[in-house]
This record gives sequence, structure tokens and C-alpha cells, in this order.
Amino acid sequence: MNTQTPYRVLVTKVGLDGHDRGSRIVAAYLRDAGMEVVYTPPWQSVDQVVRLANDEDVDLVGISSLSTDHLIVPDLMQALRKAALEHVPVVVGGIVPDTEHALLFDAGVSAIFGPGTARDTIVNTVRQLAAAARDALENPFT
Amino acid sequence: MNRRAEQQQPKGYEKAETQWHDDYRRDIGDAQPVHNRSGVPIEPLYGPSTDPGAAHLEHLGLPGQLPYTRGIYPTMHRGQTWSQRQLIGHGTPAEYNERVLKMIDAGTTAISLIPCNSVYRGNDCDEIPLPLLGTCGTVVNTAEHMDHALSQVDIAAISTAMNDPSPFTLLSFVLNVADRRAVPWQQISGTSNQSDYLSHFIANHMFFRLSLEGARRVLLDHIAFCRERVPNWNPLSVVGQHMQQAGATPAQAMGFTLCSALQYGRDCLQRGLDPDDFLPRFTFFFDISMSLFEEVAKFRAGRRLWARLTLEQLGATTDRARRFKFHGQTSGADLTRQQPLNNIARVTTQAIAGILGGLQSLHTDAFDEVINVPNEDPARIAVATQNILREEAGLCDVIDPLGGSWYVENLTDEMEKTIVAVIDTVENAGGMYAAAESGLVQRMIGESALAWQDRIDTGDQKIVGVNCYRVPEEKDNHAVPPTVRPAKDKMQAHVDQLRRFKTDRSQAAVQQSLTALARAANSTDDNVFARVVEATAAGVTHGEVIACLRQELGFGQPLIVD
Amino acid sequence: MLLDALMAGDRRALGRAITLAETGGDRAAELGRQIREHTGNARVIGVTGPPGAGKSTLTNRLIGALRAGGQSVAVLAVDPSSPISGGAILGDRLRMTSHTDDDDVFIRSLAARGHLGGLTASTPAVIDILDAGGYQQVILETVGTGQSEVEVGEIADIRVVVCTPGMGDDIQAMKAGLFEIADILVVNKSDQDGVDQTVRHLESMLSLRGPEHTRAVIVQTTATKGDGVDDLLNAIDRCSTILNPNERRRDRTRRLLAGRAAELLREHLLRHDSERLDTACRAYENGERSLEQSARDLLKLEYP
Repeated sequence: MNTQTPYRVLVTKVGLDGHDRGSRIVAAYLRDAGMEVVYTPPWQSVDQVVRLANDEDVDLVGISSLSTDHLIVPDLMQALRKAALEHVPVVVGGIVPDTEHALLFDAGVSAIFGPGTARDTIVNTVRQLAAAARDALENPFT
Repeated sequence: MNRRAEQQQPKGYEKAETQWHDDYRRDIGDAQPVHNRSGVPIEPLYGPSTDPGAAHLEHLGLPGQLPYTRGIYPTMHRGQTWSQRQLIGHGTPAEYNERVLKMIDAGTTAISLIPCNSVYRGNDCDEIPLPLLGTCGTVVNTAEHMDHALSQVDIAAISTAMNDPSPFTLLSFVLNVADRRAVPWQQISGTSNQSDYLSHFIANHMFFRLSLEGARRVLLDHIAFCRERVPNWNPLSVVGQHMQQAGATPAQAMGFTLCSALQYGRDCLQRGLDPDDFLPRFTFFFDISMSLFEEVAKFRAGRRLWARLTLEQLGATTDRARRFKFHGQTSGADLTRQQPLNNIARVTTQAIAGILGGLQSLHTDAFDEVINVPNEDPARIAVATQNILREEAGLCDVIDPLGGSWYVENLTDEMEKTIVAVIDTVENAGGMYAAAESGLVQRMIGESALAWQDRIDTGDQKIVGVNCYRVPEEKDNHAVPPTVRPAKDKMQAHVDQLRRFKTDRSQAAVQQSLTALARAANSTDDNVFARVVEATAAGVTHGEVIACLRQELGFGQPLIVD
Repeated sequence: MLLDALMAGDRRALGRAITLAETGGDRAAELGRQIREHTGNARVIGVTGPPGAGKSTLTNRLIGALRAGGQSVAVLAVDPSSPISGGAILGDRLRMTSHTDDDDVFIRSLAARGHLGGLTASTPAVIDILDAGGYQQVILETVGTGQSEVEVGEIADIRVVVCTPGMGDDIQAMKAGLFEIADILVVNKSDQDGVDQTVRHLESMLSLRGPEHTRAVIVQTTATKGDGVDDLLNAIDRCSTILNPNERRRDRTRRLLAGRAAELLREHLLRHDSERLDTACRAYENGERSLEQSARDLLKLEYP
């Protein structure tokens, strides 16, 4: 299993919010850590995120969320499963009330990064998750 | 040490100063030089040798006199304190109304309405998944909804700010409500708080609904309409807040905003409007960061610059047309999720900066701003913060109390220079519209944002609770009340009611209005906003107005620079 | 098997196959071999030019125009990798948002991963995959820096170079490579001042090209508004003289192999040491052989 080519990460937004200060910074973190970041505009639908994850064949999906857009993520998790992409980890960054963390984790989200999360935490977590995703793909090219 | 002295210091003082300098150097050792957020170097001490002297007094002026450095009115807060204008928005119109009446009781003197994100995106609530509705703002899609939202609110007496971008359907609803209540439009006061489409294109994409060209056209129609028909309404608020929240330095935020204001002023001049008439209705909306002295200097410099620019660039002749009026909002970007109660101290600091900076209107964030749409208690504390500062701290007793401070006068001059450099960059790129279209402004802001984050990541800039004085996650956040989501059943009922409304209203009237609106959008001698007001009176909804104008004038696709 | 799924139009297989090609190795080479006879149907349009010219915005419009003609479209958008970290921000999708829901459009963002020509080492293989996967039009979008124009020239059937008014100095900088390969020169942002001057400038530079080069066409566009896109597509169609898949495949193969062979030969001649090489060089230095003759002599040397 190849671990040498850079990890490919999708950084995108679902729902209504359009703020991108946080996602731009995270994209820069990941690039500086040697990853390839497919960076999209906001307002992607669930189906569009699934398509992006598939066509770009990413190792991880990062959703940037302010307000309540994270409430759409459980639908996204379901859609990824339906598209045979359940092995692709999903992380959510931004503002998620503590009381709604369980909702996301139960749906299969791998990590939630709130405001003020340290750069190294984000980078290391993403790297570990992406590595595990690649490993989990058995017979990846059949 | 700056040596701009024009007067002789007594010999004893010079000697003492040299002594201080030597003592300082010896004690401080290898300490790094200090720069503020805008990059201005900050000396450890300012004194008479930095006093610019008599010539500077003219440059400074007095309160209520050009160039307004010390304040735009002779009395400032000693005469009339700032408006407490708290942003509110949540749930259904009924829930908004409940909150707004409580806030009025608690001392809010002016109200502001934040609509739901779905409204910002140009949708009606029957087009959006239920969980996304009403979480960050109020769902207002019709004139009826506005009527309920403002139930028992005397709109002739209370100033209402509508946080609504082009095509300003929320104001349209307010005017419809005024008609229903037989309130003449001349008595309606407030501001179109989000009329600055350039700031949305650049730094708040969620608010960007129509194409740049389309927004430009509708704004001019809106300004022309309001000048004539709603004379006490401020149709334009030029917003520096979005850009500072996106990472612009304070000097950049002021510089870019003044450039936007110049752009809008020029567009109005081209329309044939009179600067002495439209300029008094230009207002500004700024972020206030934790960098207290920098913010004060930023606002003082801003006033002085605007006084000059309105004369030199826009041909204003009256003093009134050259006044820089602004609303300040404490910066949410400075608040932390960690140890949220600390944010009360932060908001207090920011509010003081804004007050000392001479604002006309203030919104203080609630301490849970970074976690939630503010719950009631945090929102109450935010208002109380303003009350305490106003009543107990003596901040209103003296106009421009930091004026004359060697530091603040020097910093005002330095901030002015830095701001002018930003303005020059934008003007050389063809003005703000061209600079935004090309992505220049976005790139500059992005660089500042990354630079600031880098300072935090390296620990160069300490943020309490984030990179120092940390508390373990498990022990944190107990003070934050749980997130209150809008009641699902109420919101569902609201959506159902809208659906019924759409079927029950006169389809002919709706169709007719939309046709007139589309026609106006495609002609150059009709006022689009006037047709919007007629349309919403005829029962056309928010989403329908925007769909029509997006069709005719183009969908707003922001330019995102990677 | 991956090949079967790919040929059947399975989108997941397509995404995975491209990753395989990017990764390289034996399995990638094997897939590449299996695929090649199924290529040639796709027309490859190369879009290059300096940063800021509006290539992505133009590509987005071009996709629309091709789709309006009923063509399926794939896009490879290549961005440079950071030489320091090896990572990249692949942001071309920021300008290509209109087609995500279209099942007949496939967009893939690629990082150059240290490959210096502006493309990626795997680009030919990836194009083959998209070709075999059934996409009729493949747009290859790259940043025009250094030698990428040359690389694009080898791979693309039609080569579009995009610039903007007032890029006079940049055009000079793009120089030889650009004008060697361009079939179509696009002046984008043509609503700006200086467009006529830029067009004249380009025309005069093109007239300096030798007669062995076919005449390039200049097209004006304003991608943000969609103006001129139909003209561009018409120009592309007019340049597409080879329509037969076999011929197209052969033409592309010749270019690809010629480019690679030239590269290998050059590397070899620069590094190789042998007596015969020295003899040939001396003959030139002594004035016994002309430049042309000496170069031909080197070609006759054995290449391992």
C-alpha cells in the first residue's frame, strides 16, 4: 500500500454560510504539511460533495461550518455510504455546539475542530485519518 | 524616539529624557520591537518631544468642526450617548418580537434585525431544510412577517436597522408595514446595514446575492429612492467589519472602506445626485478589535480622512456632508471558544475602544458569540456592559478624552499614513470596484489573515485560553448555556403558513408585480427598488423578488481567491 | 476489474484509475498498456497561459459551450506543488462551479508534484484514462510557466494560449515556447483597455513565425461574461483537422514519443562521454564540420 504520494484532502462547505477565513487557513496548513487540497467555493450540496470526493478521489473530506450547516453532515455521511465512499473520513471544522457533537460522531464524523484548535492538532489528525483510510482500502485497484 | 518637536524643551527635561532612554535600553535588553496590528511601530514612551506642536492643532480641529478628528458633533457623548443597537435575530417573527420587546425594556434604544441565513442566500423558508431555518437570524419572507416581528414596536419612534443586502426586501417590508399602520415614510428612520455589496463580494460571500453589476444598479436606485421618499433612512452603510473579520488589519479595513465609500460616492455623482444631499446619509459600520489605542486612532484618522476625501474627491461643500458617522461592533474574531466568560472582558475592552473612538452606535457581542447565536443571559450581559460603561465609568464626561495624548496623536497620524497607503494602492488599481473584481483586495486581506494566524500559531501573539493560560477541555465551557435551536414545531408552522400564503394571495397581482420588476431591471429609467416595494405590497415574497432579479441582473458569484 | 469498470463508464473506477496513474508503479503501467488501444476518440484541448489570465473561468465557459453541443467533457486542471512542502492548493474548481451536477462532465485537479514542465508526469496516462473512459473532449488546463507550453504542445491536439490586455511584458516573457505551439491565442478580459494594442502586438509576433508553422488564430473573449466563447469553440473546431480516432492517436503518439525521445537524447548527449562524441565535437571546433553537419553526426551515434 502506497503511502508516499501526498494525501489529497477536500476542503469544502455545505449549507448556507459563506465565510472562508477558517477554511483558507486550514487549506494553507495542510498544504504546508505536504498535502494536496482540493479547495472549492461554499454552498455545495450533499450530492456535489459526494461527486467531488469521488472524482477527486480524496483521502479525506473536510467540511468548514459556521452557524448550523453542520446539521447537514449526517445526510452527507449517508450519501457517502451509498456511493461506496464510506471509507473516506469526514472531519468538521468551525463552530459546532458541544451538545451537537454526539449527533455528528454518531453519524460517523471522525473529528470536530472548534475555533482555536491548534494547527498541529488539525494537521496530525488529518494525516492519521488519511493514512488509515488508505490502509483500509483492500485491493484498492481492482 | 520620534523627534518632531517644534518647541524647545527645558534643558532639565531633555537631560531627564536621555536618562530615561538609557535606563530603558539597559533594562529592556534584547526585547523585540513592537508593532500594532496594522504594522505601525509602537514606541515604549511618547512625550513632549513627539508633540507635533501648534501646527498640528489645525490639523486636529475641535469636536464638531472640520476635520472632525476629535468628533463629528460639538457635544458627542456628553450630549447624546451612542445608540445601543444590538443585533438580534432568531427563529420566527414571533420569537424575534418577544426578544426585541425584552431588549427595549432592558434599555436598547434602537433595534436591528438579522435575518436567517436562508434569507441572506435569497431563499424563502419553504425551499430550505427545516434544521437550517432560523438558527442565526429571523425568518422573514413577507410584509406580514415583518408586521409580526415589529408588533408593538413604534416604528415612527424607534430606529430600525435592517441587515439586508440588495435588493433590500426587508426595508421594503418595513415600508409596507408603515403603510398598514398609517405611518408616513418620512418618520421611518434606520439604516440599510448591508448595502455595501463590495464588502460582501470581497469578504462576506453569504450576503452576496446579485451580480456585481446588478448590485451596483440596485444600490443606486435604492439610494435615489430613499433620498426622495424615505428621507430619514440611511440607505448606505459602508462596512469595514466584514473585511476586518476576514483578516484585514485595522488600517486596511479603514482604507478599503473609505475606498468603497469613494466608489459609491462617485457612482452617485454619475447618477446626477447632489453630494451635499446624499453624503449626510452615508454611514459606516466598523469592527472594533482588542487593540484599543489602535482602534481609537483608526477612527480619529478615519474621520479626518473622510472629511478631506469628501471635499477633494466628491465635491462636498457643506460641513454636514463631510461627517464620518459610524456604528461599531465589537469584533467576534477576537473572542474565544475556550473559557467563554473571558469574552466579557474582551467585549468590554473593545467597547471602550469604540466609545473613546467616538462612535455613534454600538453593538456589543455576547460572550457566547463564538459558540451559539447568543442566549438570553449572555445577550443581557452584552447590553449591561454598555450600560455600565455609560453610567459608571465616566467615559461620556469628556469628549475625545484621549485627544492630546502624545501617543494617541502620534498614532492617529501614523494610522492615517498607513490608511492612505492602502487607499493609494486601491485607487492605483482603478478604484475599489476594479480592485475587488480583480481580486487584489481579497489577496491583501488573505495575506493579513494568514500573517495573524501565524503570529498566534507561533505564540508571538498570545491569546488567553488558546495558546496560553489554558484550561483542560473537560473543565471548560460550563458557563455557556446550551444552544437553543428554534422550536421545530413553530418553524414548521411558519413554513406551512408561508405555503398557504402563497396559494391564497392574488396570483394576478403577484405576476403583474414581477413583470414590472423584471421590466424595471432591464430599463435604465425605472427604479428597481420602487418596484420591489410595490411587489412586496402585492404579496410577492422575498425569495421571489430575488429570483426575479437574479434572473434579470445575474446571480452573485463571489470571487474566491485561493 | 478496474479496466472493465472504467470502460463501462463507472465513475468510481475513473477516479481510482486516475489515482493509480498518478501513483505510478507496475499496476499503473499495466493499466496504461491495456488502455492504449482504446484511446484516440477524445479531442485534447490544451489551455495554458500566465497566472491571472482567466484560464479557469474560460475553461468553465468552454465546458458549457461543448456541453451545449452535446459533447461529454473531462477537465484536468494542473496546479504547481510547493517546492518547500510538496503540498498544493488545487483551487481551479473555484472558477468551475457550474458543472458539478452534470453527469457528462468530469473534473480532476492535479498537482504537478515536482514535475517541472507545468504538467504532471502522469498527464499522458491520465488523458488516456479519460479518453478510454469515453469522454469526447478533454481539456487540459495548466499554468503557463517555464516550459509547460512545450509539454502541452506534445500532449494536446489543439493548443490554446490565454493572455490578457496589457500583458505585453508577460507576453515577451512567454516568448518562444508560446508561439511555437499555439494554435489559438486568446485575449481574455477583452473588455479592458488596451485590447486592440495587444491584438496588434500578437499579430506582429505571429507574423515572425516561420512558414513551417501554421497560422495561429487570435480570439477575443471576456470569460466572466461569456463573450467570445462561441468564437473560441469555432476556432477550436476549425483547427481540429484530424477527426479519425486512429489518426488522432497516431498523431498524438508521434508528438509524445518525439518529445520524450528528444528529452532522452538531450540528457544522454549532455552527460555521455565517449571517444566518438569527442571526435564529433572536435570536428566542429576545428571548423571541419558545420553546425548542421556535426549535429547530424551526433544523431548517428549509438544510443544505448
